[in-house]
Amino acid sequence: MIFLDDVTFGYGKRPVLQNATLKIAADERVAILGGSGEGKTTILKLVLRLIRPDSGRVSIDGTDITEMAEEELREIRRKFSIVFQEGALFDSLSVKENVAFCLREFSKMTEEQIDAKVRELLRVVGVEAAINLMPDELSGGMHRRVAIARSLAAFEPKMFLYDEATTGLDPVNAERICHLINELCKEGTGLIIVTHKVIDALRVAGRFLFLLNGRIVFDGNKDALLGSDNPAIVEFLNEFRYEVK
Amino acid sequence: MSIDFKRAVDELQEYYILSVKGLLGIFRRPFYGKDFIEQMDYSGVGSLLIVCLVSLFIGMALSLQLAAELSVMGLKMYTGKVVGISIIREIGPVAAGLVFAGRVGAGMASELGLMILGHQVDSLRVFGVDPIKKLVTPRLLSSIVMLPALTIIGDAAALLGAYYIAVFVSNQSSYVYWTSIEHVLTFQNVFSGIAKPFVFGFIISSISCYMGLSTYGGAVGLRRSTTRAVVYSIVMIIIADFVLTRILLYALGFSV
Ligand SMILES: Nc1ncnc2c1ncn2[C@@H]1O[C@H](COP(=O)(O)OP(=O)(O)OP(=O)(O)O)[C@@H](O)[C@H]1O
Ligand SMILES: [Mg+2]
Repeated sequence: MIFLDDVTFGYGKRPVLQNATLKIAADERVAILGGSGEGKTTILKLVLRLIRPDSGRVSIDGTDITEMAEEELREIRRKFSIVFQEGALFDSLSVKENVAFCLREFSKMTEEQIDAKVRELLRVVGVEAAINLMPDELSGGMHRRVAIARSLAAFEPKMFLYDEATTGLDPVNAERICHLINELCKEGTGLIIVTHKVIDALRVAGRFLFLLNGRIVFDGNKDALLGSDNPAIVEFLNEFRYEVK
Repeated sequence: MSIDFKRAVDELQEYYILSVKGLLGIFRRPFYGKDFIEQMDYSGVGSLLIVCLVSLFIGMALSLQLAAELSVMGLKMYTGKVVGISIIREIGPVAAGLVFAGRVGAGMASELGLMILGHQVDSLRVFGVDPIKKLVTPRLLSSIVMLPALTIIGDAAALLGAYYIAVFVSNQSSYVYWTSIEHVLTFQNVFSGIAKPFVFGFIISSISCYMGLSTYGGAVGLRRSTTRAVVYSIVMIIIADFVLTRILLYALGFSV
């Protein structure tokens, strides 16, 4: 479904991603691992064509979107649901209005229908009580949940993208979010989770990518990841091994 | 140097595209009426008090200066006329514009900048909402509507301040003051005073939106775009004021 073909991207002169080639099928569950600033978020932004690659091509479902205009991209982006790194809730709107945003924008629902739908979505993610709060009154975990609820309201996504959905959360909350992610990702839909917490990646994904210095240096399943002898990956996994012991 | 020049041209082009698209958004669906109302409230109603305050004191200071100078020549009764012309044609619009740039320009740039940094604008794009129509058009339109309104109210405050000084400090006749103001309120004077804030409102909001939306690089980046929004707005207002004055004087048949 997703095909990045020899993509290079940089901000200004500084390269972030170099000659990345990546194919992800529609029902795959992929985790993108790597240290801070290695370009993990950049990959997600490229997939949604929020940024344009300097060279190489990006295709979604066989459609080349590298040069597509913003209006045409709308249809493509509807196939995805994304939760950004910080949740990215609209901070001028209440929790309810955040979740209702797409419903108001694109559907002809009545006020009661919207209200019911919002409550239902918030119940799914388990923060129904926060419906009338503003985003800056939420804790980190609640913030992510509301963001997930908002992304669900949009459309029926074929693939879920999560950018650091569990970063900065306590272990209990992180586990809950992973559980939620697993539940939402039904048969036939795929997901990409970007994280630097190995334990959360193992909880939800079956395929692992490792980014280092702007290159994808590892691509394989769990066993291959845990058995890898690449020193950077070994070091990356150390913390996780320590936790497990 | 050559690279900087290219960047400047690129930025100018982006700015141009943004402001044209933002303006065209007024005529194309969907319309974001709620955002427009909210922006009018923020930029217009929110700036009312400070515009009045600034204009009032400018009017008083101006009146004081002129009364002092004119009374030396025994021409004190012309205070109203000179004050009126300067305020309506020149000082009122510029003062309101500068206050607006400081308050609303900085506000717009920092709000949009924060939305960029927090991926809120990216979220809009993913949802299929055009950020220019949703964010820029309401801001442009509300500034174009509200700054002229603020200018008129500010002018009134300045004229009142000037009146206070002329009549109660400089002991002039209140009747003479208001009649000279009345004589000053000709079509030419009022038109050249009212035409300016439309342009200023557009300049301030388009520059501030552009600066806000081109924010990058965290808190330092936010500081840079907010500062640039205010500085560029102020400089452009002053320059535009000169150009407009030249054009308007010519168009309205004044000889210099
Ligand atoms: N808007 C921007 N302008 C300039 N440089 C940027 C911008 N966004 C990101 N970068 C740079 O690009 C590089 C990759 O950024 P990216 O956000 O993809 O990293 P990441 O792997 O997601 O890191 P993190 O784990 O901290 O979120 C970083 O070094 C960052 O400094
Ligand atoms: Mg990131």
